Amino acid sequence: MDASLVFAQFLSGLSRGMMLFLIASGLSLIFGVMNILNFAHATLWLVGAYVCYTFWFLMQDYAFGLWLSIPLAALVLAAIGWVIEVVLIRRVYNRELPEQLLLTYAMVLILGDLIKIIWGVEDKLIERPPLVEGPVFIFGMPFDSYFIFVILIGLSVAVGLWWFLKKTRYGHIVRAAVFSREMVSALGIPIPRIYTGVFALGIFIAGLAGAVQAPVGSITLGMDMAVIIQAFCVVVIGGFGSLLGTFVAALIVGEVYAFSILFWPQGALVLIFIVTAFILIIRPWGLFGTPTRA
Amino acid sequence: MVILKVEHLNKAFGGLVATCDVSYEMQTGELSAIIGPNGAGKSTFFNLLTGYHRADSGRVLFQGQDISNWPPHRISRLGIARAFQVSNIYLALTTYENVRQAILAQQKRTLNFFTPAHRLAKKETAELLEVAGLSQHAYMIAGNLSQGDKKRLELAIALGSKPELLFLDEPTAGMSGEETHETMGLVKRLNQEMSLTILFTEHDMSVVFGYAKRLTVLHQGAIIAEGSPEEVRSNETAQKIYLGEEA
Amino acid sequence: MLRYWWLGLIFIALLFLPLVIGEFWVHVAIEILILGLFAVSFNMIFGYMGQLSFGHAAYFGVGAYATGLLLVKTSVPLPVALAVSMVTAGLFALVIGYFCVRMTGIYFAILTMAFGQMLYYIIFQWYSFTGGDDGLQGIVPPAWLMSAWAYYYFTLFIVVAAMIVMWFISESPFGYTMRSIRENADRTRFIGINVRKYMLINFVVAGMFAGLAGGLLGPFNRSIAPDLCNWHQSGVPVFMTVIGGPLGFFGPMIGSVIYTFLFAFVTGFTEYWPLTIGLVIVFVVLFMPGGVLGLAQSKFKTLGARDSMAETQGSMDTET
Repeated sequence: MDASLVFAQFLSGLSRGMMLFLIASGLSLIFGVMNILNFAHATLWLVGAYVCYTFWFLMQDYAFGLWLSIPLAALVLAAIGWVIEVVLIRRVYNRELPEQLLLTYAMVLILGDLIKIIWGVEDKLIERPPLVEGPVFIFGMPFDSYFIFVILIGLSVAVGLWWFLKKTRYGHIVRAAVFSREMVSALGIPIPRIYTGVFALGIFIAGLAGAVQAPVGSITLGMDMAVIIQAFCVVVIGGFGSLLGTFVAALIVGEVYAFSILFWPQGALVLIFIVTAFILIIRPWGLFGTPTRA
Repeated sequence: MVILKVEHLNKAFGGLVATCDVSYEMQTGELSAIIGPNGAGKSTFFNLLTGYHRADSGRVLFQGQDISNWPPHRISRLGIARAFQVSNIYLALTTYENVRQAILAQQKRTLNFFTPAHRLAKKETAELLEVAGLSQHAYMIAGNLSQGDKKRLELAIALGSKPELLFLDEPTAGMSGEETHETMGLVKRLNQEMSLTILFTEHDMSVVFGYAKRLTVLHQGAIIAEGSPEEVRSNETAQKIYLGEEA
Repeated sequence: MLRYWWLGLIFIALLFLPLVIGEFWVHVAIEILILGLFAVSFNMIFGYMGQLSFGHAAYFGVGAYATGLLLVKTSVPLPVALAVSMVTAGLFALVIGYFCVRMTGIYFAILTMAFGQMLYYIIFQWYSFTGGDDGLQGIVPPAWLMSAWAYYYFTLFIVVAAMIVMWFISESPFGYTMRSIRENADRTRFIGINVRKYMLINFVVAGMFAGLAGGLLGPFNRSIAPDLCNWHQSGVPVFMTVIGGPLGFFGPMIGSVIYTFLFAFVTGFTEYWPLTIGLVIVFVVLFMPGGVLGLAQSKFKTLGARDSMAETQGSMDTET
C-alpha cells in the first residue's frame, strides 16, 4: 500500500467525517440546548436529500440547477424544522424522557412513509454538473471531485457554527441556555423562541447535509438508518453538547470507516462501535464532554 | 479502641478547598458532633468517609482497615451507615418496604430471585419500625410522610444496615422542638444501649451541647477546635469563627 | 394467592380461546403472547429499574436467530433451542450491558440503541452465517407443533411460565432492589448494594427473556429477518409499555394486545403501517398524557406498595 492510496483514503474519510459532522452537530446542538434527543434527525437529513432532488429535477436543464437546489433544500428543511418544533416538540418540553423519545421516534415512522408516498420507492439519482463530475488526481490517485466540495461545506459549517456560538449575541444566548434555562429566562429572553430557533438551525444543517449528500450516489429509502446510528456514535464519542468534540469524533469515525473498508468492508460499522465502546471505557462522558453532565 | 481514624484528608473541588488536612479519631462507643457554619465542609467530610467522593489525598481507616477511596457499597457492608441531611428515602415505596430493603441488603439476600420479599425479614423490619417510632405509618407511601417522619425513616434505613459506626447529617433538620428531642433521645439510646458509635452534624447548638460528648469545629474545611462541649465553648478561635457568628 | 383469582380466570379463558376464534385470530393471539413477553421483559429494565432501553430488540433478535439457526442447521429439539436462545441472548446482554449500565437516563437510551444497531448490522451483513438481509428461511417447528392451534398452546405454556418466573422476580428481594435503584440509586449504594452490578444482572435477565420471546417467533413465522433486531423493533415494547402502563406488571402485555390488534386491523387495508402507528404515537403522547402516564401514576402505588400486609388495602390492587 503506497502513500498516495493512503492519502486518497484519508480524503475519502475526511469527506465522510464532514458529512457526519454536519448531521451530528445539529443533533448535538439540539440535545445540548433543549435536552431532546432527535431520533428523526437523520430522517430529516434524508428528506433534505429528496427535496434537493426535486429542486434539481425541476431545474435540471440549467447548469446552476444543483448549486441552487442545495441551499433551497436546506431552507425548506429549516422551515419544516420550525413547524415541527412549534407543532410537536414544544408540547413535550416538560415531559418524561420516554415520551420525548417516542415522539421523535414516531416522526421517523411518519416521515419514512411520507417519503415513500411523495417520492416513491425507486432510488433517485442526480446528474452532477460538469464541475464536479469527474475525478481529480491527487498524487496520481483519482479522487471524486465532489468530495472536495463536501469537505469544503463541512469546514465552512464548522467555522460558521463556531463563529455563531462564540462571537454573536445569539450564540452567547444559545450557549448560556446549555448551562441554565433559568438564567436565560431571567435575562428576559423567551425560552421557546430560542428552542424554536435552535431546532430550526439544527434541521437546517441536517437539510444542508442531506442536500449535499444527494449527488454523492443514489438516494435510497432507509439510508437514514445507518447514518443516525453513526451520528449517535459521533455524539457519544465527542461528548454531548461539545462542538469541538463532535468535529473531532466525526473525523475519527469517518477515518475509521474509510480505512477499515480497505481491509474489512463488512466490518466497518462494527469497528466504529468497537471504537465507541473503547472510548466509553476510558472516558464515559466522551472526549470533550464534562463528567458532570453525564 | 479506635474505630475510625482519619489521616490528613484533603479534598478540593476545582479551586475550592472543601476538606483541608483533616485528621480525626473516634473511639468505639462515642457520641460526637461536628459543627461549623454552612459550607464549612461537614457534608463533604461525610461524603469522603462514606466513599461518595474520592479524597485527593489522605487515608481513612475503619477498625484498622484502610478504606480510602472504597466505593460506598463496600464501605456500607463493612459496618458504616449514614443518614443524609435532605432525607434520602424511596419515595414511591412504603415505609415498611423502605426499611425492609435496608435489612435485606444487610442480610445479603438481595440476590434472592424467587422468595417473595414480603415473606422475608418480617420480624426485623417490624422491630426497627418500632424503634424508629414509625410502626403506625408502616404502610404509608414514604413520599406522603411528614418531614419529621421522613427524617426518622432515613435514620431507620441507616440502622437497617446494622452499622457499628453511624454518620448522621443534621438528623433533626426541619423537626419541631419536641420531635428534635424525641429523635435525639433515640440517638442517645442507640448509642448507650446498642453501643453504636455515632457522629452527627447539627446546627442547633442546644442539641449539640445537650447530647454530644465531644465536639469538633470545622471551618473552611479545616478543624479549628476540638474537645468537650465546655472546652469548645471556651475556645476563643471557635467562638470568634463560629459561635460568635451565630450569637 | 386468592386475590389473583382473576388471573386464573383469564388463563382458563385463554385455554378455550382457540376453540371459538378462527385461524387468523389464533395467529394474532400467538403474536400478542410473543410480543407481550418481549414487552414485559423490556419493562424489567424500564418499569422496575427505571432506565429506558431503546435497543431491547437486539436480544429478541439474537434469540430468534439462535433458535432459527439451530432448527435450520441442526436437529436440536425446539425446547433445547429455546434454552440456547435464552443463554445466547443473555451473553450478548452481558457484554453490551457492561457498557450501558455505566450510564443512566438519555445516555443509557442512546447506548442501548447504538449497541442494538451494531448487532443488527452484524446479522444484516454476515450472509454466510445469518443469511444477511434475505433472512433465515425454512424454520420448521417439530411435527407436533405444525398446526396454529398446537403452536398457540405451546406458546401460551412458555409465555405463562416465563411470566410467572418474572412475576416472582419482580416480587423478590431482587425485584425490590431494582425498585430501590429506580427510586434512589445513591441511597441504594449506601445500604451496601453494588448498583452497577445489580443493574447488569437485571439487564441480562431481561435480555434472556427477550431472547426466549424471540426464539418463539421463528418457528411461528417459519422465517426470520434481520429487521427483528433493529431499532424499529426496539420501539415496539417502548410503545406497548407506555400505552399499557409501565408500573404495573401486566401493563406491557395489555399494550401488546392493543398494538397487535391495531397492527392486524390496519395492515388489512393499508401498507402504511409505520405512518399509522406513528400518528397514533403522536396522538397518545400529545393528547393522552393523563390517559397514559396518569394511568401509570395511579399504578405507581400498586407497584411500590404491594405487600403481604398491604392486602388490607385491597382496593389498590387492581392492575388491569
